[in-house]
Amino acid sequence: MPDTLFDYEAHLLACGRGERQALRALYEQESPRLLGVARRLVRDNALAEDIVHDAFIKIWAGAARFDPTRGTARGWMYSVTRHLALNFLRDHSREIQGDIDLYRDAEAFDAQAHSSRIHRCLEQLEPARRDCILHAYVDGYSHAQISHKLGAPLGTVKAWIKRSLTALRECMG
Amino acid sequence: MTTRPVDETPEERDELAGEYVLGTLSPERRTEVQQRLRDDSALRTAVDGWERRLLGLTDLAEPVTPSPPLWHRIERSLNASMPRSATAATAPPSWWNRLGLWRGFAGAGLAATLVLGTLLLTQATVKPTYLVVLVAPQDKAPGWVIQASNAREIQLIPLGVAQVPEDKALEFWTKAEGWQGPVSLGLVKPGQTLSVPLDKLPPLQPDQLFELTLENRTGSPIGKPTGPIQFIGRAVKVI
Repeated sequence: MPDTLFDYEAHLLACGRGERQALRALYEQESPRLLGVARRLVRDNALAEDIVHDAFIKIWAGAARFDPTRGTARGWMYSVTRHLALNFLRDHSREIQGDIDLYRDAEAFDAQAHSSRIHRCLEQLEPARRDCILHAYVDGYSHAQISHKLGAPLGTVKAWIKRSLTALRECMG
Repeated sequence: MTTRPVDETPEERDELAGEYVLGTLSPERRTEVQQRLRDDSALRTAVDGWERRLLGLTDLAEPVTPSPPLWHRIERSLNASMPRSATAATAPPSWWNRLGLWRGFAGAGLAATLVLGTLLLTQATVKPTYLVVLVAPQDKAPGWVIQASNAREIQLIPLGVAQVPEDKALEFWTKAEGWQGPVSLGLVKPGQTLSVPLDKLPPLQPDQLFELTLENRTGSPIGKPTGPIQFIGRAVKVI
């Protein structure tokens, strides 16, 4: 959840002007949540810290080019971090395959606890289809890993994901 | 460069954007999307839409408190990668510009150079014109030697096998007087002898800096050193 009292955009603009203390403020504000997102994706503390390190270097370097018409400053910080982690996962997919049985599973989905619209829209999906979306976005699982995890054929998982995305789009606009 | 397929419908584009943000594309298709995003504004808009829609799901990951050194690592990387002009006014000087540090290294490096240089000169058939001994910053222990028998190619020769964590790599950098920042000469494996042609760079200069830093396995993501220095030294002309 974003902290509504913190002005992410003003801090990012200040980073774009070269103000190092603004980056420090963004780090203090958001690094535990960004590290949590990266940790969940790459399943390793040291690796997740490497991802967050690289993300803050990219955030600093890209701050001057940040375009607020394309999305929020906070959202951009998460996109940068997630895609660095996802690139790592996909580039090393052979090494980590089969790992997922050892990884403790996601906590049960509880839409009540999360107020944003995506959670209400997800609640309307069938549980297996909702799990596909969560395992992909939150856990970084590939199609094959989701298929393995849910015990569903690969083709079925791919079709579920496609249809779930269409349904989410309709629900959220 | 990847171009957009001519027959791609808006629905297909949106589906591709959705799966890109979700993370389920294959490595090949991810790379393809990332290349297209540079100049395909329709795809960029579709991706931005999915980033916005799915962002709320990041709440599901439990926050993790970073270890205290993480911020210092980030700061060090920023100091190392920023151009001199931008850092001059606000930030503390980057380590490239710290004279005291270099004087220290130069002294230690020169001593080691003289010893090793003599050794090499008595054995080598081709006389090197430049020598560099790369020493560890902490204990000044020599780890690598660089020799150049001409100004267009250098050889990086290990004096031992450096310890590198499994998920890291050593990246080789150089910087001469007046350059904006260090230039990567590529990744090097511990214990490996590396020949590096310098055809894209100006000829070697006396006092040119060389260093090996610890980077992610694929090298620094930003083309400048981001990790800690493992070995460092300056070029000395051999007469």
